[in-house]
Amino acid sequence: MAFTESKTGKIGLYGVLLVATIVAPFLFPNYSVQLATLWIFIIVAITWDMTGGQMGYNSLGNIFFYGTGMYAAAVVGIGLVYNVGDYTAAAGGGIYEFTVTQWMTGYLLGSLFAGVFCAITAVILGYLFFGLRGPYFAIGTLGVAIAAGELVSNWDWVGGGQGISLPIYPGDAGVGKNVIYFGFAAVGVVLFIFVKWLYSTRFGAAINAIRDDEEKAEAMGLQTLRYKLTAWAMSAFFVGVAGGMSGFQLGHFEPLETAYQTINLGIFMVVCVLLGGKGTLWGPIIGAVMFQIFKEVTWNYFLGWQWVALGALIVVTVVYFQDGLMGWLMQKKPEWFGIRVEKKDDAAQTAQ
Amino acid sequence: MKLKTIALAVSAMMASAGYAAAADCEPLNIGAAISLTGKYATNGVHTQNGYEFAIKKIDEAGGVKIGDKCYNFKITYYDDESKGDRAATLAERLINQDGMQYMLGPYSSGMTKAIAPVTEKYQIPMIEAEGASRSLFNKGYKYLFAVLSTSEQYLASAVTLMAEKAGELGKDVKDIKVAIAVENDPFSLDIRAGVLEDAERAGMQVVIDEKLPRDLSDMSAILTKVKLVKPDLLIVSGHSKGAATAVRQIGEQQIDTPMIALTHCEAADVVGNFGAAANGILCSTQWAETLSYEDPLFGTAANWEQEFKETYPEYKDKTVPYQSAQASAAVYVFKDAFERAGTLDKEKVREAIAQTDMKTFYGDIRFSEAGNNIAKPMVLRQIQDGKYNVVAPSEFASHKVDFPRRLPTN
Repeated sequence: MAFTESKTGKIGLYGVLLVATIVAPFLFPNYSVQLATLWIFIIVAITWDMTGGQMGYNSLGNIFFYGTGMYAAAVVGIGLVYNVGDYTAAAGGGIYEFTVTQWMTGYLLGSLFAGVFCAITAVILGYLFFGLRGPYFAIGTLGVAIAAGELVSNWDWVGGGQGISLPIYPGDAGVGKNVIYFGFAAVGVVLFIFVKWLYSTRFGAAINAIRDDEEKAEAMGLQTLRYKLTAWAMSAFFVGVAGGMSGFQLGHFEPLETAYQTINLGIFMVVCVLLGGKGTLWGPIIGAVMFQIFKEVTWNYFLGWQWVALGALIVVTVVYFQDGLMGWLMQKKPEWFGIRVEKKDDAAQTAQ
Repeated sequence: MKLKTIALAVSAMMASAGYAAAADCEPLNIGAAISLTGKYATNGVHTQNGYEFAIKKIDEAGGVKIGDKCYNFKITYYDDESKGDRAATLAERLINQDGMQYMLGPYSSGMTKAIAPVTEKYQIPMIEAEGASRSLFNKGYKYLFAVLSTSEQYLASAVTLMAEKAGELGKDVKDIKVAIAVENDPFSLDIRAGVLEDAERAGMQVVIDEKLPRDLSDMSAILTKVKLVKPDLLIVSGHSKGAATAVRQIGEQQIDTPMIALTHCEAADVVGNFGAAANGILCSTQWAETLSYEDPLFGTAANWEQEFKETYPEYKDKTVPYQSAQASAAVYVFKDAFERAGTLDKEKVREAIAQTDMKTFYGDIRFSEAGNNIAKPMVLRQIQDGKYNVVAPSEFASHKVDFPRRLPTN
């Protein structure tokens, strides 16, 4: 699953990517919001692939963890300093100010809490939903996300339909941008290292076995439910953290269009993975990069046609590149992936 | 969108070709993300037209004079698709990539709430004309200024009027029943909060308190409940789409509540679209062309309306929505502030905006510490034989209120 055979080549590649990650916001300070968004796409794509690609459970409801993470982090961020109900009241009132320390504490602790909260939620929901397979699982999880949006939009304590305006970073705006960017980048890098390790362990093999034939895996003695719950909880943790940070990045969010945005990010994450290639380590990342570029270009230069273009992209991917870019490459250039293909001549020689 | 900006710029230049002074002026860039598609598209366009009309008038009057130089405003627009996260991203784009130092507001409280944290973060002065929710003004934002009155004032006079008229129904104020149906968004939730406060103070009973469905296209279930419970006052708020749905279904279901008060009647053109069904409905408005406001740039309120209709013939047979008027007022405040500041320095301009004290065709404009306009009242109009007549508060009223509302007979 590597681009090059040699170990130094691999280390070199990772080094270059890491340096690029660190210097990017300084080289392109005006694009740091788009870069941060790119990291969100990478995070949600990798985590979607953990269950969708590696385990064969296509969730359409991962956006639930994104929205829930947003709310959990915001409630912690505000709750540490003020009364949440007063802060989110529809009618005006006092003015709420935050210091840099209070903001940072809310941002970091809140996002971490959001991750843990979402992981626990995933375990609870998992008990309900992992009995479902295929389209039933997909629609079931989608239902959770939609229902959650409606429920939260009627819950006045967290602002109901008017959402929550989080405090903006009280310090210098340039620093604030970098705090957000590096927050996402750190989560993305940790997530990548984590899944790279995870897929090389017995756990990785077990969830692949569930994808390939769940009955057989069960028959061989794998406690499939436990694996499925763990995988989804890990995935939910990272989405929750990313969601929590997104809330602080956006500054204001409301339940239906921003937090539980099923038709936007909820679908985009699946599109990213399909573009790049399901069930591969790099596929979701490459897909996310391609998708973010595609989205920026169409949303800015083909306005009015952007959704048509997105639809066309999905159709072309699903019809002609079912395994995504990585799958297509793997078929065309198997040697890049360390797969040895016997040539006709070799076979002939062996026969002699 | 770029094309449209260019087209507008070209037409603006052609319009001002006869004015040599304005043609020599340099452009002064302002950014705006506006809902040109999505659920707020109708009002997004009303807002954009208001901005462009003011810019045209300012160009014709010789531009914005800063020191001894003159400038013409030039707005770069993006379409926020009526989505908050999109609006925030576009604000970042306008500021970081297009280098905008000043912003005009989007349409709706929700979009303004999405953009305000961004303009605040980069300390970009934003004058907005379409975000009325009080929740915008308790966050300590220093670069946000709103020319309009806040939303709790929209229907407060309807509750007051109901209290005055309770006797005519042979009831005590304490027996008045109020029904509320609002969109689940920052603006309408603040309307609801204001009405609840006022109704409670007057001792009225709130018998229905419902949210309109997300797409605002059907409220028949709520109206069925209204027929059963028979409230004396029905309040509906859901921007233009909500107003259109309400008037259509109130007509269809023959709702005979004695007093019905809405927001956004003019913007939804309920008279043009539903005719007699709209009669007798009370509509809150930030501004009315019949009010006696005036200023040197636009003339009187009536004059603004007349010239606006000449520039945009599509409004010819309608009542021009106040959304366009307040958008023009926002641009006018920018002009005034730039000229008083005498510099393009962002901080000095912010200072000048904060000290604004103007009389305009739209009403007086003076900002509180929090940035909302505290110098202009809301008025209530009633649709009487297809005309919008001011009926409250009494010092502005030109007509008597028709009460109780009579069911239109076809």
